[in-house]
Amino acid sequence: MGPLYKFGFFGHFSSLMVALVLGFWFGFLLERAGLGNPKKLTNMFYFKDFTVLKVMFTTIVVAMLGLLYFSLFGWIDFSKVYILPTFIWPHIVGGLLLGIGFIMGGYCPTTSIVATVSGKLDGLVFIFGMMFGVFAFAETFTSITGFYNSGAMGVVRLPQILHLPSGVIAFLVCLIAIGAFWAGEKAEKKFQDFEPEGAPTKRFKVTGAIILVILGLVLMIANPDKAMTKDQEKVAPVEKVVIEAPKTTETPAAVEKVPEVIIGDDEGC
Amino acid sequence: MNKDRYSNPYLIGALLGVVLLASFYTMGRGLGASSPIARITAVSLDTVASDHTRGNAYLKRYFRPDRAVLNDWLVFLVLGAALGGLFSAFMANRIKGEIGRGPSITAVPRLLLAFGGGAFSGFAARLARGCTSGQALTGASELALGAWIFMLCIFAGAYATAYFFRKEWL
Repeated sequence: MGPLYKFGFFGHFSSLMVALVLGFWFGFLLERAGLGNPKKLTNMFYFKDFTVLKVMFTTIVVAMLGLLYFSLFGWIDFSKVYILPTFIWPHIVGGLLLGIGFIMGGYCPTTSIVATVSGKLDGLVFIFGMMFGVFAFAETFTSITGFYNSGAMGVVRLPQILHLPSGVIAFLVCLIAIGAFWAGEKAEKKFQDFEPEGAPTKRFKVTGAIILVILGLVLMIANPDKAMTKDQEKVAPVEKVVIEAPKTTETPAAVEKVPEVIIGDDEGC
Repeated sequence: MNKDRYSNPYLIGALLGVVLLASFYTMGRGLGASSPIARITAVSLDTVASDHTRGNAYLKRYFRPDRAVLNDWLVFLVLGAALGGLFSAFMANRIKGEIGRGPSITAVPRLLLAFGGGAFSGFAARLARGCTSGQALTGASELALGAWIFMLCIFAGAYATAYFFRKEWL
């Protein structure tokens, strides 16, 4: 049962080899889609080429469906998959700034790496820019720590906020994705002034949409939340021990340690 | 499929989804690319001003007594991504020394904007605790609230300012 690493199937060194292999395909696929080309990336913001939207949204939908089906089948313990906690204000401001950086610089962090290895000098300069951005952030960190930790909501998922089962949300995400693809293609037809490469046939698109709707519908009925809460119940007794332990002896130290683990940035981006 | 041309974006997206799922299944975590840049920055600064860097309120988290700064899962992921990107570009004859830009901008302004955009991104990714991969792709597929808000804000920020950068790309 997954996640394999967290159940001790392999150690740190092997995990680095896994990272190399996953990273290889990550970079390979981004390059194959043309996402190492800043003109292709930024064309989305001029309604000419929605490759970014198509790749990103398909990735999200496939990984989301996979995670929920894997939980449903008991192949993965969802409670052991790391989810970044929500810090609402830094997420909003960080998102807006990253968007500005995207259109100004032509890349996002991963795509700039792919661009650099294919020989793009501006990709390399973008990476140097990012390093400067990290430096600026680190130097100003003490004065923005308050903002950095503002709007802390802990680990929150859409099902909790919208009070809907994961299966229903997944189905809605599938429908939104299909709608977004349709709208993107419509805009491309109007604004695109070049012959797109790798455009799929109509049959491919219709078949894909039907598969997404069916997979979403099945999830909605099967409700993977039942399998997920079963996992959490199994974990629950362990958590209780952690909470009760500080009561007996050293309360302040133990309480301080808990948030440090969560915000540790160890597993996030 | 012609190997010299870009591939079907939906097919690529689906395969990337499988890679992300494989990351969840094997490691219990998603993909990411911005913290390796922060680690490389920390290592570079460490060579020039070690005490200042190791004492920095933010960067000190990367210096652990038991492990080198670059001995990290995401650093290896990015290393793999660089190799994979190189392999793909090589196979498709796309390796070419050039500056990616629109027809109406010259090289130097474009490079300055690339640096500026990178600086924005580097700062923003630290502030938001992730970038387009670690936050948006990974978090969104886990249905995390913050990731969806973050992703919508990326697109909002880019669409809202695209007009001002049109000479760079169009």
